[in-house]
Amino acid sequence: MAKIKLPATPSNPLSSPKRPGKKYGPSGVMGHAGEAGVTAVDWIDERTSLSGGLRWAMFRKVPKGTNWFYTLGSATMFAFLSQAVTGVFLAMYYDPSATRAYESIQYINNDVFLGEFVHGMHRWGSSVMVILIFLHMGRTFFFGAYKYPRELNWVIGVALLVMTMTMSFSGYLLPFDQRSYWATIVGVNINGTGPLVGPYLSEFLRAGPYFGATTLSRFYAIHMLMVPGAIAALMGFHLYLVAKLGTTAPPWIKAKPPEELREEKVTVDP
Amino acid sequence: MNKEQKEQYLRDYGTLKSQGKPFFPYAVAKDSAMAIVVMAVIIAMSIVLGAELGPKADPTSTTYTPRPEWYFFFLFELLRVIKPPALVPLATIGVPTICLILLFLLPFYDRGPERRPERRPIATTAGIFVVCAIGYLTYLGAAAGPPTQIDIPVPANVSSQGPEAVANFEAGSQVVAQSGCAACHKFGENGNSGPGPSLTKIGARLPAQAIQRTLLNPSAPMPSFSALSEESPTQFAQMVGFLAALK
Amino acid sequence: MADRKEPKSKYTVDRKTPGAFEGETVTRRRAMVVAGQAAGGVAAAAFVLPALGFAMGPIFEKQYQPWQPVGKVDEFNDESYVPRTITLVEGIGDAGKSTVYIRKYNPQLDTEPRDEYNDYIAISTLCMHLGCPVRFTAAAQRFICPCHGGVYDIVGKVTGGPPVRPLDRFYTRLEKGSVLVGPRFSVNSELRRFSPRDPGEPLDGVGQYLYPSRPSMRKIPGT
Repeated sequence: MAKIKLPATPSNPLSSPKRPGKKYGPSGVMGHAGEAGVTAVDWIDERTSLSGGLRWAMFRKVPKGTNWFYTLGSATMFAFLSQAVTGVFLAMYYDPSATRAYESIQYINNDVFLGEFVHGMHRWGSSVMVILIFLHMGRTFFFGAYKYPRELNWVIGVALLVMTMTMSFSGYLLPFDQRSYWATIVGVNINGTGPLVGPYLSEFLRAGPYFGATTLSRFYAIHMLMVPGAIAALMGFHLYLVAKLGTTAPPWIKAKPPEELREEKVTVDP
Repeated sequence: MNKEQKEQYLRDYGTLKSQGKPFFPYAVAKDSAMAIVVMAVIIAMSIVLGAELGPKADPTSTTYTPRPEWYFFFLFELLRVIKPPALVPLATIGVPTICLILLFLLPFYDRGPERRPERRPIATTAGIFVVCAIGYLTYLGAAAGPPTQIDIPVPANVSSQGPEAVANFEAGSQVVAQSGCAACHKFGENGNSGPGPSLTKIGARLPAQAIQRTLLNPSAPMPSFSALSEESPTQFAQMVGFLAALK
Repeated sequence: MADRKEPKSKYTVDRKTPGAFEGETVTRRRAMVVAGQAAGGVAAAAFVLPALGFAMGPIFEKQYQPWQPVGKVDEFNDESYVPRTITLVEGIGDAGKSTVYIRKYNPQLDTEPRDEYNDYIAISTLCMHLGCPVRFTAAAQRFICPCHGGVYDIVGKVTGGPPVRPLDRFYTRLEKGSVLVGPRFSVNSELRRFSPRDPGEPLDGVGQYLYPSRPSMRKIPGT
């Protein structure tokens, strides 16, 4: 039986095999510390294989001619993220009860450090998000970007628009000032004018025949759990489809086949 | 789009895409720059405009004039312009639902292969029309004051008669506003158009005596103001004077 | 349609399914698929249905509406309205209150038959278009809504704008010289009483069937 020669034990147990193109691998404690980031990412990637998807999403090509109009979608998403983060922090101080809601917002505005600033960001962020989503939709419409093969993404986008409007509607009851209260009364009654189911729908929204003790917490749950969850999920699907189908090119850009494939340049062997 | 057009599109798009640049870092750089602009706008609005809180919700109020957030003004105005009670469900549920369905199904009824806005005249015109309509309704909704407010500037022929005439005109404007005339009549930018006629230029059409007669003995459904003329004749005279001065 | 296949037999043996039993109609694979889907459906229903019922419970809960005193008999007259604040929902402070306009029954104005509940007329201040707060303007003898242009005359009937029915009312009765205000009810354009509806829900013609009354609030039976 032939003996297999074992490789020699490395003199320094901390030295690793050298990287391609480098003479030596990292060695010593400092060398390994420098590689810590790569090692951690490798460790995660070995167990999740996420790098493939990430590479697919990040290094896909964007057609030429892409201009600033194409940033409106990601800007809307960014406004949503800003709303989500400021909203979570507002929830730390807000109290969704009919007797305490207004006072808790007053407390946020007057006493909490940066309270009015964060509240203001959330309040005006909603306007900015609504404007951006409309601009994004206008761009998609006028550039004909909803056509084949992106029909489904348009439908998801309209659903996101409806949900964004639902967010603004359910959100402005929460400060519980005069405008909040009456706008909500009117909004709920608008739902009630649907024949047959309308009266039950408005009663479901109010949790009873009148604005009552649990109406605010109901709107609070809709505003901060139900609709944002659905928005996040649909936004993920919207983005997946964008990455899969590719962003559109501006409609007036004509596709020219690459130079070397033009008919007059291709020589055919006799 | 038929099968051939679909394949043509995919081929052209593939060519354009292959000549493009990678999403990271080129598009990401643009998106990030835009994100910074968005955040700067939000932060600036928050600092400049603050987070003002109105008076606490008061369901017992009978003087508050409810108005929605600005981006619902077009829906609000839609409810104001659709007057007949029988059409209320149409204004509240019908029109918005139909518009939403049309919006959802857009890619399924607009199936043409053309994408350039100038070669899609119907779609582009419809789009611009919708944008203008929403913009106009938003403007009207924003301008709609409560029916207890009339801001008509003092006309030149009144201000030339001296400060007493101006004071009378303004007092009359107050009386008219508080009497709720604007609930049924239009006064310049204020008030509702109907069921009563516009009173913006009533003084040019009717002399003061005729106005007074109408106020005392109106035709239904307008109420009579004879009680006001008996209880406080000065206020009634100011009311008539104000209306007669609207030319 | 010439080469249309013969209809398949329902027995797996006739269909030549491998491993078929005599008299078997559902393959074991198919039985597993159905069982798997059914089990998943039952598991999902087990949390969805209770949660939905939990959220929709208030629709079927009867709202308690007490009679509450609003003042002595001599505080009200039969020519103009006196505003009073009543509590609709208890335990939430001012948010559960509302304003009603109260006036004595006036045979010259009121056409509906008198009974024990309308010695005093109590009119709700919610506009029957979409629920904005209306205000009684004495000079014009009109209820005026600040939102979408609704106008009502002195008995609460619509004289202009989009409201779909007259202003809602409350039952009133007398007790030891005090006026008590009770549950709310809605009226159609002839001032006939109906179980309370929300604003924007017409009661004339087929309206009362298109917008049914709800279990949470009913009018007093027989009125």
